[in-house]
Amino acid sequence: MTAVSLRHISRRFGDHVAVRDLNLDIESGEMVAFLGPSGCGKTTTLRMITGLIEPSSGDILFDGESVLSTPTERRGAVMVFQKHLLFPTMNVAQNVGFGLKMARVSREETAERVKEILELVDLPGLEDRKAHELSGGQQQRVALARALIVRPKVLLLDEPLANLDANLRITMRHLIRSIQKEMGITAIFVTHDQEEAVMLADRVALMFDGVLQQVGAPDEFFRTPRTTGVARFFRNGNFLRGHRRGSTIHTDVGPIEIVSTSETVEDGPSVLTVRPEEVRLVNEETDQENVVPAVVTSLIYMGSHTQLTVTIGDTPWQIQAPAAFQARNGDTVRLLLPRGHVSIVADDDTATTGSAEATLAEGSAVL
Amino acid sequence: MTSTPMTARRIRNGLKIPLMLAPALGLVVVLFGGGILVGLGQSLGYFPAIGLNEFTFSNYTTVLTDRNFLISLWLTFRIAAVTTVLSSVLAIAFTLVLREKFAGSKITTFLFQVPLPVPHLVAASGIILLITQSGLIARIATAVGLMDTPADFPALVFDKGGVAIILTFLWKEVPFVGLVILAILQSVGPQYEEQARTLGANARQRFRHVLLPLIMPGVMSTSIIIFAFTFANYEIPLLLGVRFPSTLPVVAFREYQDPDLALRPQAMAISIVLAVVAILLLIAYRRLARSAVK
Ligand SMILES: Nc1ncnc2c1ncn2[C@@H]1O[C@H](COP(=O)(O)OP(=O)(O)OP(=O)(O)O)[C@@H](O)[C@H]1O
Ligand SMILES: [Mg+2]
Repeated sequence: MTAVSLRHISRRFGDHVAVRDLNLDIESGEMVAFLGPSGCGKTTTLRMITGLIEPSSGDILFDGESVLSTPTERRGAVMVFQKHLLFPTMNVAQNVGFGLKMARVSREETAERVKEILELVDLPGLEDRKAHELSGGQQQRVALARALIVRPKVLLLDEPLANLDANLRITMRHLIRSIQKEMGITAIFVTHDQEEAVMLADRVALMFDGVLQQVGAPDEFFRTPRTTGVARFFRNGNFLRGHRRGSTIHTDVGPIEIVSTSETVEDGPSVLTVRPEEVRLVNEETDQENVVPAVVTSLIYMGSHTQLTVTIGDTPWQIQAPAAFQARNGDTVRLLLPRGHVSIVADDDTATTGSAEATLAEGSAVL
Repeated sequence: MTSTPMTARRIRNGLKIPLMLAPALGLVVVLFGGGILVGLGQSLGYFPAIGLNEFTFSNYTTVLTDRNFLISLWLTFRIAAVTTVLSSVLAIAFTLVLREKFAGSKITTFLFQVPLPVPHLVAASGIILLITQSGLIARIATAVGLMDTPADFPALVFDKGGVAIILTFLWKEVPFVGLVILAILQSVGPQYEEQARTLGANARQRFRHVLLPLIMPGVMSTSIIIFAFTFANYEIPLLLGVRFPSTLPVVAFREYQDPDLALRPQAMAISIVLAVVAILLLIAYRRLARSAVK
C-alpha cells in the first residue's frame, strides 16, 4: 500500500500542454477516478505515474519519496491499458503469470498464484486458453488479474470498462471495487463516464484540457460544483446570475437566500445553481422564500419523471418534474429553489476551459 | 424446393476459385512440372536426343559416391545456413536500432533498404570492386599505410570459405528480413512492451519474452525463403567462388553447359538431389522452429 503524491506536474508535447500544474495527493488504499472528456490528459497523467513518460516539470512521490529516477519496471505502478493488451503469443496462465516470471518467482508458486487470482476475477480453469479465444469481458479480467498478481504499489486502470457492454460493465465495476477494497490497493482509474466515476471512486478528480478542476468525494460534484463547467459535466446546466450580498443573491427575478458557508466568499457578481432534481414546483399561493416564476418551453415524458425545460428571465433551466406533471408551453410555473440546494459556482463559461458540451458547442460554432 | 439451386450455387462458388486460378496454375504446372519431368527423365538416363533410352540409377550412384559431390554439398549447405542465420540475426539487430527515433533515423532506414531492388549480380560486382585484393578497401588501406601492399589484404573473394558469397547474400537479404520485421513492429506498436514494462520486465526480458515471440513467425518464414534461395542460387557463387570446391548449383550449371552432352544427365541428377535435400532441410527446419517457438 502506497500513498501517491503528484506535485505540480506538467507535461508538454511540443507546443501542446497535455497536463498543466497538476497537484493531487492520493492516500494509501484509496481509489481515485480521473474523470474528464476525451483528450483532457487522463492517460498522459497515468503514463507519467508509471514512468512510461516523464513529466516536463513537477515531481511524483510514492510514500513521500520521489520516483522520477526509478525506471518503470522497478516503480511498481502497474497499468491496465485502454486496450487490454494480452500478449498474443501466450495463453491465459502465461499472461497472468508474466509479472511473476519477470520477477523470477518459482514455477510452482507462480502456478499457484495464477490459479488463485483467476478465481478472484471469476475465471477459474481458463489457464490454457489463448487470448483470442476469450470474450472481451474475459480478456479484461485476465488483464486485471495480470496486473493484480504482482501486488502493485499503485494500480492504474485506463478506461478498463470502455469496450464492454452495459451489463458486463456493471458486473466489472463491482468486481474491481470489491477486489480493490479487499486487497487494499491504491488505485487510480480513468473514465470519461461520470456515473462510473461516482459509483467506483472514493474521490473523483475532474480534469478539463489538462487542468484539474475539482477534487473531492463524488457527492461534492453534485452538491457543490466549483465551476459552471464542472456542474455542466455532471449534467447540471441550471445557472442564474445575480449579485451577492451576505447570504443573499439578488437576481432579476428576486432575492435568493443561500446557506452561508464558513468560507468567506466575497460579495459581488455571482452565479448560482440548483440541480434539476432538486428544483421543486410549487403552487401560486405559497409565500415561501426562494420562489421564482418561470415559463415552460418544453416537456418530455420520461416514464419515471417528466423533464421540464423552462426559462427564468431569459435563462433556460432543466427541471425533473413528477411524471404526472401537466403543462403547456408558455404556461407560467413557480419554482422553489430550496435554500440547502442552492450553491455558488465560479463562472468559467467565458474562459477557454469548459465542459465537454461547451467544447462541442464551440466546435460546432466554428464549423 | 430451394435446395437444388442452393446446392448448385454452392458448387459454383466452390469451383470459382479453382477456375479462376486455373490459367496461372496450368502455366506453372506445364512449364515447371514439365521441366522437372524432363530433368528427372534425363537424370534417370532417359535422354533420347543423344540416344539414351534406358532407365538407370547410374547417374545418381556416380554423383552420390563422388567425394567432390559431398564436399560441394557441404559448402552449399554451409553458405546457405550461415547466410540464413546471420541475415536473421543482423536484421533483428538493425531493426531494433531503426525503430528508435534518432537524428537521421529516416535517412538510415532509407539507406538500409537501398539493396532491396539491386539485382544480385550487381551486388556481386560491387563486392568485387570493394573487397578483392585489388579492390577499393585494399587500396585505401595501403594508401593510408595500414598495409604494405594490397596483396596483404585477406583473400575474401575467391576464397574457399565463400566469405564474399556470404557477404553479398547478406547485403541483399538483411534488408529483406528487416523489411518484414519493421512491418511487424509497426503493426504491433510499442504497447505490448510498455505493458510488459509496467509489469516489471527489463529491456532484456521485454526483448526475449515479448518482442522476439512477436517477430519470430515473420523471421521464420523469411528465413525459409532465404535458405531456399541461397541454397539453389548459382550466379553469386559462380562469380565470387573458387573453382574448387564449388557449390552444387554451380557444379550442375557447369556440367549442364559442358559441350559433352553425356554430362547432362549427371547435371540433372545433381539438380534433383539438390531439390530433394533442400526440401528435406526445410521440413526439418520448420519442425525445429515450431518446437523452438513453443
Ligand atoms: N505522444 C504524444 N504526442 C503528442 N501529443 C500527445 C501525445 N500523447 C497525448 N498527446 C496529446 O495530449 C492530450 C491528452 O491526451 P491523453 O491521451 O492524455 O487524453 P485522454 O484524457 O486520455 O483522452 P481519451 O479519453 O480520449 O483517452 C491530447 O490532446 C493528445 O493529443
Ligand atoms: Mg486516454
